[in-house]
Amino acid sequence: MNNETHTPSSDFAKEIALIPGGEVINKCIQCGICTASCVVACVDDQYRPRRLIQKILIGKRDEVLKSDQPWLCMTCRMCEERCQEGVSPAEIFHAVRILAVKEGHIPKVFQITVEKVLCDGWMLADAYTDFNEDEREDLGLNPALAWNDTFTKKVKKKYLAGEESA
Amino acid sequence: MKEIMLYRGCTTPVRLPAYEAATIAVLGKLGVKVVEMDDANCCGAQYVESVSRMAFAAMSGRILALAEKESQDILALCGACSGSLKINKHFLDNDEKARKEVNELLSEEGLKYTGKTRVRHLLQVLNEDIGFEAIEKAIKKPYKGLKLAAHYGCHVTRPYEIVQVDDPENPTIIDRLIEIAGAEAVDYVGKTRCCGGPLLAMDESLATHIGQDKIRDAIAAGAQGMVTACVFCDIQLTQVQFGEDTDSSKMIPVIPIVQFLGPALGIKEDVLGIELNKTSPDIILSALQEAK
Repeated sequence: MNNETHTPSSDFAKEIALIPGGEVINKCIQCGICTASCVVACVDDQYRPRRLIQKILIGKRDEVLKSDQPWLCMTCRMCEERCQEGVSPAEIFHAVRILAVKEGHIPKVFQITVEKVLCDGWMLADAYTDFNEDEREDLGLNPALAWNDTFTKKVKKKYLAGEESA
Repeated sequence: MKEIMLYRGCTTPVRLPAYEAATIAVLGKLGVKVVEMDDANCCGAQYVESVSRMAFAAMSGRILALAEKESQDILALCGACSGSLKINKHFLDNDEKARKEVNELLSEEGLKYTGKTRVRHLLQVLNEDIGFEAIEKAIKKPYKGLKLAAHYGCHVTRPYEIVQVDDPENPTIIDRLIEIAGAEAVDYVGKTRCCGGPLLAMDESLATHIGQDKIRDAIAAGAQGMVTACVFCDIQLTQVQFGEDTDSSKMIPVIPIVQFLGPALGIKEDVLGIELNKTSPDIILSALQEAK
């Protein structure tokens, strides 16, 4: 009973289901509570999580992997909280993102930020100025943030060599 | 005195250091000593998270291992950090192969992840480790006649099965703290909705629209200010009020929970860095009563 699927399952849906987090796609009954709960869908009439999941279920592989839409999910998980079938659109779209990156489709801002974080060890190295250091001192805080970039460079080499330059 | 190790995260120490200072002061006053973690790295939230499951697990795993080495629990002030650390703890605790792989990387610098360290969001420390009763007893100058809206932060409260902070659809910790300090917590449409912050990278105008809707809904319910528990939410809900088409007469102060509690606990405003806030906190501070 637990393994029963309710929906068509394309090869693309099977591919997504093999990525950790993506396996929940086969539980989707296309009820649309995700779109109804979605704050992004409230302000962007092109973004519809139910429709995006349906596109995966019917096998629109190219269209989904090349689209910006899986990258618009804020992972606020309001829909996941409300879904009675145990589907997490945030996890499904993460699985889509990971597959898209492997095939060279990554929004520029993600590519640049990943590169920066792995190179500097943290996100805001460029934004941290003398002004911030003074502000921290005035507040009685340590101005030396002592971030480690050795480990993140190792992580980059092991898991993301070449991918972020795609 | 109980100790907890603060993982500062990327954003707090640069964009909202007063949040860090106020946390140290308020928790100290309530009997929890904050020690800071050095030699850390980004938790990997949103960006690395979107490109590699294992890279994300390794980055958070190292932070957990740094605290484990010192036999400390981790305190996180940011929803993205607390969420990432908890999600990766859950992943590493349940996936032996992933744990082994991360530990191979960590062993090169003498670190090890076994899962002993707990990740505590600030709201858990206030609610579970200190407790409402102790906080109530410590209130010296209660607020009076002040209506505030609570904003919890999506990654602070969801997914509940993993983060276990508060009811994900009807959270109450911030509301209770607002009332303990003497103010009135107002309910409003979309209380558990996102601030829009995570969308800034992909579409700034949509992100701003989402944040402005949130402020508008809180004002419509009579809120005179908004209390937050995540650095990202605080910055986002502040900056959406400074847009070109915004009405500055309708601006409300956005304030982290610790900066709100601090004055009521008798902590001086300069220690809490309140004068650095970009939205004027005057309406909040002027509601403070004389020492009870």
